Amino acid sequence: MLLSLSWLREFTPYEGTAEQLGDRLTMLGLELEDIVHPYESIRSIVVGHVVSCEAHPQSDHLHLCQVDAGQGALLDIVCGAPNVAQGQKVPVALVGTTMPDGLVIKKAKLRGAPSMGMICSERELGLSEDHSGIMVLPDDFLPGKPLVEQLELDREVLDISITPNRADCLSVLGLARETALAFHLPLNVTERILQEDDGSPEVRIPIDIQAPDCCWLYAGRVISGVKIGPSPMRLRHRLHAVGVRAISNIVDVTNYILFECGQPLHSFDLDKLQGGRIVVRLAEPGEKFTTLDGQERNLTGDDLCICDAGRAVALAGVMGGQNSEITEASVNVFLESAVFRPATIRRTSRRLGLSSEASYRFERGIDQRRSCWALDRACAMMASLSGGRVRRGLSLSEPKPFVPVNISFRPARVDALLGVTVAPDFDEKSLVGLGCPVKKQDDVWVVTQPSWRPDLTREADLIEEVGRLHGLDTIEPVLPPVAKNLEDAGDPESRFAFWSRLKRWGAGLGLNEAINYSFVGHRDLDRLGLPKDGRISIKNPLSSDQDVLRTSLAPGLLHDLRNNLAQGAQGLRLFELANIFEADPLSETTARETGMLGVLLYGSRYDSAWPQVGEDVDYADLKGVVEHLLRFLRLKAPECVVEPVHPFLQPCVRVEISGKQVGVMGRVKPDMADAWLARKDVWLAELNLETLRALHDAVRLSFAPLPVYPPVRRDITVMAGYGLTVADIEKHIYALRVPLLEDVMLVDCFAPEAIKETEALRHLTFRLTFRHKERTLKDAEVDKLRENVANSLVKNLKVQI
Amino acid sequence: MDLISALEGLVSELQEGLNQASSLEALEALRVDMLGRKGRIARIMAALPSLDAKERPAVGQKANSVKERCNALFDARKTALEREKEEASLRRFDASLPGRTPWRGSLHPDTLVMEDICRVFQGLGFDVASGPEVEIDHYNFEALNMPPEHPARDMQDTLYITDTVLMRTHTSPVQVRTMLSHKPPVAVVVPGKVYRRDSDLTHTPMFHQIEGLMVGNNITMAHLRGTLTAFVRAVFGAGTRVRFRPSFFPFTEPSAEVDISCCMCDGKGHVDGGPCRVCKTTGWVEILGCGMVDPAVYESVGYPVDVSGFAFGMGVERVAMLKYGIGDLRMFFENDVRFLGQFVG
Repeated sequence: MLLSLSWLREFTPYEGTAEQLGDRLTMLGLELEDIVHPYESIRSIVVGHVVSCEAHPQSDHLHLCQVDAGQGALLDIVCGAPNVAQGQKVPVALVGTTMPDGLVIKKAKLRGAPSMGMICSERELGLSEDHSGIMVLPDDFLPGKPLVEQLELDREVLDISITPNRADCLSVLGLARETALAFHLPLNVTERILQEDDGSPEVRIPIDIQAPDCCWLYAGRVISGVKIGPSPMRLRHRLHAVGVRAISNIVDVTNYILFECGQPLHSFDLDKLQGGRIVVRLAEPGEKFTTLDGQERNLTGDDLCICDAGRAVALAGVMGGQNSEITEASVNVFLESAVFRPATIRRTSRRLGLSSEASYRFERGIDQRRSCWALDRACAMMASLSGGRVRRGLSLSEPKPFVPVNISFRPARVDALLGVTVAPDFDEKSLVGLGCPVKKQDDVWVVTQPSWRPDLTREADLIEEVGRLHGLDTIEPVLPPVAKNLEDAGDPESRFAFWSRLKRWGAGLGLNEAINYSFVGHRDLDRLGLPKDGRISIKNPLSSDQDVLRTSLAPGLLHDLRNNLAQGAQGLRLFELANIFEADPLSETTARETGMLGVLLYGSRYDSAWPQVGEDVDYADLKGVVEHLLRFLRLKAPECVVEPVHPFLQPCVRVEISGKQVGVMGRVKPDMADAWLARKDVWLAELNLETLRALHDAVRLSFAPLPVYPPVRRDITVMAGYGLTVADIEKHIYALRVPLLEDVMLVDCFAPEAIKETEALRHLTFRLTFRHKERTLKDAEVDKLRENVANSLVKNLKVQI
Repeated sequence: MDLISALEGLVSELQEGLNQASSLEALEALRVDMLGRKGRIARIMAALPSLDAKERPAVGQKANSVKERCNALFDARKTALEREKEEASLRRFDASLPGRTPWRGSLHPDTLVMEDICRVFQGLGFDVASGPEVEIDHYNFEALNMPPEHPARDMQDTLYITDTVLMRTHTSPVQVRTMLSHKPPVAVVVPGKVYRRDSDLTHTPMFHQIEGLMVGNNITMAHLRGTLTAFVRAVFGAGTRVRFRPSFFPFTEPSAEVDISCCMCDGKGHVDGGPCRVCKTTGWVEILGCGMVDPAVYESVGYPVDVSGFAFGMGVERVAMLKYGIGDLRMFFENDVRFLGQFVG
């Protein structure tokens, strides 16, 4: 809401600065966003007096003027405007002035005649769209004085952000009320001043409100014999200062009153209203209506229309219709002042994406007791500006008159909620100052709501008012006592804490934590071959890149890979903890949210070249990270099962613990990774945090006593074909249940070149660790056990030793 | 007697050999030759039994003393050589060679800030709660005193899944869920992702919030001010000043916005004579919204009317930007490692 200081002063004699006012209002809950200087760009324009004006001998339209602009000597200025004339007071841009559009005025010669400045039009000054000629100023303006000062334009306009509850402050009057309260100033509101025209017959337009739930008050008056023209300069400038384009004397007054007291008005061309009556009704579903902006709108049964005898003439509270608008030819005006149900207006405005100054105010609530005041004030102004006559007779229908709420108010509750002692006198003074009649009784007062404060209906609302006037910032801070239930003690670790520990693990391991948007494009999921079933789409996405909730962390991490490669990264090690989303009809929210951990490894294994070896990451790196995590979660080593078919990983390995799948890891299919500009293998793991959490919670960490006797180790090297995996051999050895065998570990893997693929063998060395709990082992007995293992491997797995 | 002089000769021979031995390897060869199991002293000792019984003690004694002396000479030389080797290797040591650096990890600044903030509130007795990111209209809006067509819904542009299911626009629905499942007193903070239909220089469609809620008997605005003052001092430094401005949120009343003295210019409004770009010369920066829980919220969760409490909510990225001096919000979700890598534990 833009607030002009000069306008404010018509209601209250505030003499301080814009900054002081802004600071005070801010601390009252009306936040100053900015102080705007709307006329800063024409600060150096001065008033000039055209002393002489002759036609340019070398031109058919230029004039040679001598102008007294208070510079001592008269200035020669060449002017091309048709309306320039001797004796006028005009705005002059002197040499060196920068115009609002950036043009710098220079000494010039026009068809041989020197020109030492420019006489300006309103458009050149940014005051209006008028470029039909130069701006002619009142005769009493003083040459040489700044134009802004002579026009009494607002140097400073406050831009105040109004919260949705303060409908009353969407007007100069409302802000004046707050200003008066804050600075202990009187508030001057003119009583109704309307001269009805006694000379002509009374006119009352019949008003038929067919939707009384949606239209609480409808009032109107007729003004006859208006002459449509521009508004006077002062009115136009005042509107201009608050960002409203001047249109005509009738329309400008409706806007002026809207900004002044918050009541939206609408003016109809009476001669275009058929049947001389107004009907307020809900639209027919499918009804079409063309609004003032020339757009045809499809209406529904929820939209409220203002109609004449035959058709809709305005979309109530939102915008007027083209069929009844004021034009230059209009002579008789019907002026509407109404109050509509906020939700009705909001629904229409939102559905049509059509928000106006009027709808904005209707949505938030109107001071219904001021509607007729606003109507009368507007009529009086219109009559005086347009030469029209306000006809006798107020047309009024008020199906739902304003009934103030009487609120029970306990002064003790103020202290209890704010945590300070507020004197009852202060409570009373504050509430009365806000315009609330107060009936004081012992502990419970009755406080009556003012008509302009739709937000004050409950005790809490009044406490807020007392609080903000008292100053929330003056309340002494105190720490609260700890508020806990004994029943909640011993609750399991929070999800946040569990995730936090995993994040610390990831960062500690040396991965960089990424956070990606929860939404991606359907296109991204399609590209990775992820199923279309179960996706949750955004109904109103910002773009097609963000139109579905992710069902995998892969697209986000791949997106990060592309970003980092574009910045020249050689290697990347990212992790992310986030939810993935799948449709679940059984869920209250229709979504199943599953916490996942994603890890992406790419490119150079190490950032530094020396003393590290410059190699790229591979499966062993990714598997190492996954195993490290499982170990961190106190889980045993996983089973890694090759998954032959996966949408985007190949090879893809299922990570299982005790037969339960906890995730997958593998290499992103190179043709897919290509889409994210990867030139090397992309290794990616995705693990289900809900499953991991359940497994982790089931583990009881307990201490195992340290062994007393030393171990004895024996190595076995087998030569095995590629079909036999390390896990197969280890599993076989464990299955033998060799007594005293504590551990089997691969210590070397050597693959000599083979001539034929089918004959290729690997040399795998396993280290067996034996230990006896109660004595030191003898070499001979361990050698015997090793021998048994070796024999079994040769016999059952057909390997060579 | 021959044997005795031979033994005597060994000492000087060893002395000479030691002087020539310039490496530990040569020294070891010498030791094996002289003192080894089959070395020269051992060989002489082996000859003892064949000697005359009278001679035996003298030769034996001599042999032992020679062995001792040889051992001593040998050890002295070995120590000297080892010292020399150690000194040579110290001369070659270059402390400035790069280390064998393990991977260097980092935590996202949002994580760092959320952990920081939660830690502060946990110290004040709050628990950490969480809730779904896909929410129903009821918990996100209606139960928070924002019925359909309430103008306050304009404050939060919403991403919808269906007409009644949406991406939560704030972490406040977890307040409602917490109160529905817990009797008062409750004290929780809720960190998490939230979503708005908004994307420009200063808005991203997803960001993080931390919500706080404390409800009990006789909880007042003074407690709210105490709690938030403690938080601000812990996160931004003990000297940070706090300002409460009245404001409006549908689910609190009275409501306030909280400003802190600008951490860039220390609340002066100017840095090095120029205007402060963070607070735009006001000396204050807005950090969070808060208030006393609106009675309508208690009603929607079935709490008794006589409880009181407060709630607050803040943007995590905003705190991170102020705390770490990050100028561009969009960097948070681009995951450039040059950005991420700066935020280590």
